[in-house]
Amino acid sequence: MLRFNPAAKICRKAYRILFISGFLVCLMARLQSQELYIFTEPASNMPARSLGVRLNNDFYSMVHDGRYTYRLNPEVMWGLNKNIMLHLNGYASNMYEQGFKLEGGSVYMKYRFYSHDDVHSHFRMAAYGKVALVDNPAVLTVTHTHQVNDNGQITEHTENLVYLADEISLNGNQSGFLTCVIATQLLHKLPLSGSFDYVNRWDNLNAKKSPYQSDHGLDYSLSAGYLLLPKVYKDFRQTNFNLYCEFLGSTSLDSHTWYLDVAPAVQFIFNSVSRLDLGYRTQIAGQMTRMSKSSFLVRYEYNFLNIFNKK
Amino acid sequence: MRILFFLSFFFLATASLQAQFSKAELQASGLTCSLCSNAINKALKTLPFVQSVETDLNKNLFTIVFKPNQVPDLDAISKKVENAGFSVAKLWIIGEVKSIAVGDESHLAVNGLNLHFMGVKKQVVNGPARLQVIDKHFVLAKDYKKFSADTKMPCYQTGTMSDCCKPLQATANSNRIYHVTI
Repeated sequence: MLRFNPAAKICRKAYRILFISGFLVCLMARLQSQELYIFTEPASNMPARSLGVRLNNDFYSMVHDGRYTYRLNPEVMWGLNKNIMLHLNGYASNMYEQGFKLEGGSVYMKYRFYSHDDVHSHFRMAAYGKVALVDNPAVLTVTHTHQVNDNGQITEHTENLVYLADEISLNGNQSGFLTCVIATQLLHKLPLSGSFDYVNRWDNLNAKKSPYQSDHGLDYSLSAGYLLLPKVYKDFRQTNFNLYCEFLGSTSLDSHTWYLDVAPAVQFIFNSVSRLDLGYRTQIAGQMTRMSKSSFLVRYEYNFLNIFNKK
Repeated sequence: MRILFFLSFFFLATASLQAQFSKAELQASGLTCSLCSNAINKALKTLPFVQSVETDLNKNLFTIVFKPNQVPDLDAISKKVENAGFSVAKLWIIGEVKSIAVGDESHLAVNGLNLHFMGVKKQVVNGPARLQVIDKHFVLAKDYKKFSADTKMPCYQTGTMSDCCKPLQATANSNRIYHVTI
């Protein structure tokens, strides 16, 4: 007789994930590499004295009320010098309310502290910090209407139920900070990038954080990507078509719950200055209480190269 | 005899006209996509002495054509590549040379550049010449280590002229000395 064993179940899942990652790694090893990752940042920086603008559109499937919500996330990126870059983000969504509202913003700074370049390989490491300030409620609420029999008189009763999620996300959901270390290795057309960060939640601008939600956690990721087209480059105007696969995980340091997401994505690069990213992210393992277990990303990015150029 | 003397004087005086470097070829390292190549391409085009840049996207090779009669600033080229987020793996300066005798440790001022030949057998270069610059920031870190082990000359470490470069001091435009090999 088979006994239910949760440890064995987790092992089986972990084994499956390892198998899938191994397969992807082998696949990528045979193909051209790409490291303009969709859901994470590589350790490489954008060119110095250049400006990039992004329009990030996130579509979430909410766990607490089953709604599909949308977040608009415009982003400005600035390469200060060859080692330091800065991102400024704004957030607006209908995740916490029925209506669309401005939520807040974040500042992100990345410092590339190690580079070892070779013709066909490189290893780079970078550290980044991010601070987000948002004006959302501290918790998600579900409005629940039901009928109450009050001494034979039936009345409608509405109540707001609080949904407590342990997931900490500084992409517009909560105020807080995170510090991250990234390593990107390109070896004979096999690009792999791993990151590890510590994230800490603060009180939101006008709402104290709930003591029943996680205050801090660890995030980790493994990313790979490859160039599918063109097979042979002819000029800068050729459209590039890239495929990506990323694994994104998180563990709460308070509740000790965790999740692991897989995020496949496609990318088009136009005229070697702009790109269009289409990505899907979904949970494959874990038991953390989350705001959303699957989301879709549509991003457009345009780069203005050398606009702060010193002759 | 007098004619010969004048001829040799003329020959020495026009030594810098014995060679003209019209372009450079650069191999960049650390690149993965055309967006990266374009960042280098656009950065190189902003240099005042650069006439045009051609790119071989498959080999990450950039051909930089210099404007005629302008002194190319090789350090500026390397800086542009590094600011774009990458490094120079190899850089060659290419031009026409008319019968110039070179050997190991010989010095030459060409196109306003002070050149110090390293690891070169005694020979007369005539016709098209392709010199690889082997200074720091022009080769991979591991190659720089290899070249550093081969020489004790302080000028290779500093990139500025020292006692070993004395023959050039009269003709130099600046103290910067580039180390090259064939």
